[in-house]
Amino acid sequence: MVASDVQQRFATLDGKMSLDDYNFKHFRTKHLLADMQATFAKQGIQPGEMAPDFELPHADEGSLRLSTLRDKPVLLHFGSYT
Amino acid sequence: MDVVVRQAHPGPDVPPYESIEQKTRDGRRYQQDENVPWPIVVDDLEGTVHQVYGSLSDPTYLIDIDGRVAYYNMWTHVPNVHTALETLQEQGWHGVVNGGIDRVPHMAPWMTHGWRGIRRGLPQSVIDLETSLPSSGLSTWLGYQLRGLLAPLTLRDTPLPALVRLGLGVGMAALLAVIVRHRIRRL
Repeated sequence: MVASDVQQRFATLDGKMSLDDYNFKHFRTKHLLADMQATFAKQGIQPGEMAPDFELPHADEGSLRLSTLRDKPVLLHFGSYT
Repeated sequence: MDVVVRQAHPGPDVPPYESIEQKTRDGRRYQQDENVPWPIVVDDLEGTVHQVYGSLSDPTYLIDIDGRVAYYNMWTHVPNVHTALETLQEQGWHGVVNGGIDRVPHMAPWMTHGWRGIRRGLPQSVIDLETSLPSSGLSTWLGYQLRGLLAPLTLRDTPLPALVRLGLGVGMAALLAVIVRHRIRRL
């Protein structure tokens, strides 16, 4: 379901985490340090860049493609259930 | 929109995701538990979108009407996001605003409401937090108990007036000075 721009970027992403590293079993100090390092390095999509397009399933039904929201401002937040 | 990412504080009832169904179910729970009115979408198990967008725990991007990043708040400082949104509106919803990037951690909402997420992974979530950063788990429990008193400050969606910020700054500095003086006397 994840599509297009994001998929291409992911294929060549530096420091990509493995499936097990990404879905860790225990929260550890290293995760805190990784967040601090990412903040220091301004890791992510930089201001002025095109936001890489993606399509993801809704939590209820259907899906949403970011590029269909063009012509509207979008707040895109990432968060965990826990 | 919200993108559901990996389990941040896993526990017996909220283990690391092994299926997209599990992750989607948590997206629905999140929408219902927190009465979220905007769309919630679910990232894949690899966290493809999350990793490309920087992998941080709690970031918010403001995207302009051309599809470009106008502002990237790495720790979702809501009052600053609110200000950025207003500035973008003043710019006709185009272009980079407020320096484009904000890296200041925003711990206030976490201190009073982080417990809502952590308690879903009890007891492991708190044990892991206490092991990683002592007192970080139990202090969020305490903060949650005091949320009635503190929420008007911690959950503000607009910046505090300058005079109040100055007062809080002076208060915190005074508190720090008292603690340091007390420690020095004990040495």
